[in-house]
Amino acid sequence: MAGLLLSSTEKVFIIHGVQDDYRSDGRSNIDYRPMELETDVVSHASGSSRLRLANTDILVGVKTEIDVPKPDKPGLGKLEFFVDCSANATPEFEGRGGEQLANSISNMLERAYHSPHAFNLKQLCILEGKQCWKLYIDILILECGGNLCDAVSLGVKAALFNTRIPFVKAVLMDGGNVDLQLSDDPYDCKYLDVASGPLLVTLCKIGDKCVVDPSAEEESCSVVSLVVGITGNPKFYVTAEEAKNMPDVELKCSMIGMNGPGSVAPKTFKDAINQGMVAAKCLDKALGQALLRERQENTSFKKHSYGFLK
Amino acid sequence: MPLDYRRFNGPEDSVSYKIYTKDYIKPYEERYNELLDENGLRKDGRALNEARSMFARTDMVSQAKGSSYVEFKKTKVVCSVFDPREIPHQNEFSQLGQIFCEVKFAPFSCPRKRRPHAPDNEERALSVALRQALEPTVCRHLFPNYQIDVFIYILEHDGSCLAAAINAAGLALADAAVPMYDIITSCSLAVIGDKVFVDPTEAEEHVAKTSLEDSNINHGIVTMSFLSELKQISDFTQVGSMDVECITKAMEVLEVECEKLVPNFQRIMVMNVIHNFEQRKRLDDEAKEREEALNKKMEEWKQLMSAG
Repeated sequence: MAGLLLSSTEKVFIIHGVQDDYRSDGRSNIDYRPMELETDVVSHASGSSRLRLANTDILVGVKTEIDVPKPDKPGLGKLEFFVDCSANATPEFEGRGGEQLANSISNMLERAYHSPHAFNLKQLCILEGKQCWKLYIDILILECGGNLCDAVSLGVKAALFNTRIPFVKAVLMDGGNVDLQLSDDPYDCKYLDVASGPLLVTLCKIGDKCVVDPSAEEESCSVVSLVVGITGNPKFYVTAEEAKNMPDVELKCSMIGMNGPGSVAPKTFKDAINQGMVAAKCLDKALGQALLRERQENTSFKKHSYGFLK
Repeated sequence: MPLDYRRFNGPEDSVSYKIYTKDYIKPYEERYNELLDENGLRKDGRALNEARSMFARTDMVSQAKGSSYVEFKKTKVVCSVFDPREIPHQNEFSQLGQIFCEVKFAPFSCPRKRRPHAPDNEERALSVALRQALEPTVCRHLFPNYQIDVFIYILEHDGSCLAAAINAAGLALADAAVPMYDIITSCSLAVIGDKVFVDPTEAEEHVAKTSLEDSNINHGIVTMSFLSELKQISDFTQVGSMDVECITKAMEVLEVECEKLVPNFQRIMVMNVIHNFEQRKRLDDEAKEREEALNKKMEEWKQLMSAG
């Protein structure tokens, strides 16, 4: 982080705090900072969300398009992630400066959403072997205040939860060519099932322990961080009555990667993954509640827009 | 998508005929059943927990400072390391030296498809993973404001190419006499259900990556690079879907496999040193012989001169 100067004593203070599970802003090692989430913010997208976590600001838009499925996966749709680091976020992103970061984030998302346990691509199928939906998930980084991966994954899941796909009214076959007729009614649509969508949790190694959602000061005390993608629990994305009838699902890792020039000991690594699981579970629960509330407000026209980028 | 104009590409919406062949559209179950025979052995006769035998040597590329060639049966990788040079297009002074990695697939290296000339997503991801793995092991403070170039060329890809690339790069860096903290080794494994395939081939990786939608089994690929003397993990990448237990188990297996490679690497490096010494000795001996012969001639001439 540019312009941040920490003396060695300040660093020692932070490291000792982390050791005792108590951070300088009063959080414990698995607590996130408060965040703001709003869905349905872009009118021309099928689904969108805006997330603000401390100083990080993310806007996600989902566009849908009809495409031909791959011949070896005739029954599956397609997902494509694109991250845009605009120079508004930090001057470092100017020109091609943000390209590497953007690539690494979109790569991580792609890996995390790869497994059918994380996102079932079958729901994007229209006509097996002929037509499927392709979702373009565009992620715009408006302000960069650290902990990008976590914020982006939350924003993506929220935007996908918000995505509406129009129903197909009729299919005409004309000598092998498919002609689809989509419903014109904007409310005649289906929502996607993204309840098991993965959340990325970045664990920053400070001393022998790891913290989630590090502040800029904490980031400067650490040389390596672990990114763990953990699938969501569908229970959190339905109302309480429905959740009672649902079977318990085991959370799974759908992606693990490392960032930064350092290395970790095997024991720290194991602890970090377990810690990431706990953090992801809390985060997923909170996200599920917020998204359900948003959807209810949306369907009953009670939604009050809190303004865009205030 | 930028097209390669030096070759005939065909119409824009054309696809390779191979994707309609029986081999390509085989269903998942058939692919899975093909991996193991009735004795529980893999296609190439290995047991599940048996890694492929390795062939490795250094001094492949004479122009490079250090180079290596690593072969795990059908996975073949060449690596070359060049002298440190000043970091291009950089305004600020960087305290630590940088490692620039580039992984490239040969156009003919992969089954099913031809690799394009322009670097694609997978190659870029591999380059990033390689740099992540190498950074902790190189003493970067010894060459501030300089970068070391590490180039990997994958000649043939038959699974676990990242592991092979990291192994090759570690060996080439050592061959180039770049100061390092430890020997770096790497290994990967594929998980399908309760079976763990150590050092998977391409076919095994392919099945592990794609799983049936409705089943809830563990599947995926894990690659880990390890500094065995320091007991540190320098890179860990996982794709697929696994529970925590499976990951910890994979980690333990990979740790053992990575350590198994270390004696081989040490042997190659020691052999290199011995080889160099012998060569030096031979050169010295030859030089001495020439000098003696010259001295003899000189004596003869001197005698002739004094006599004449």
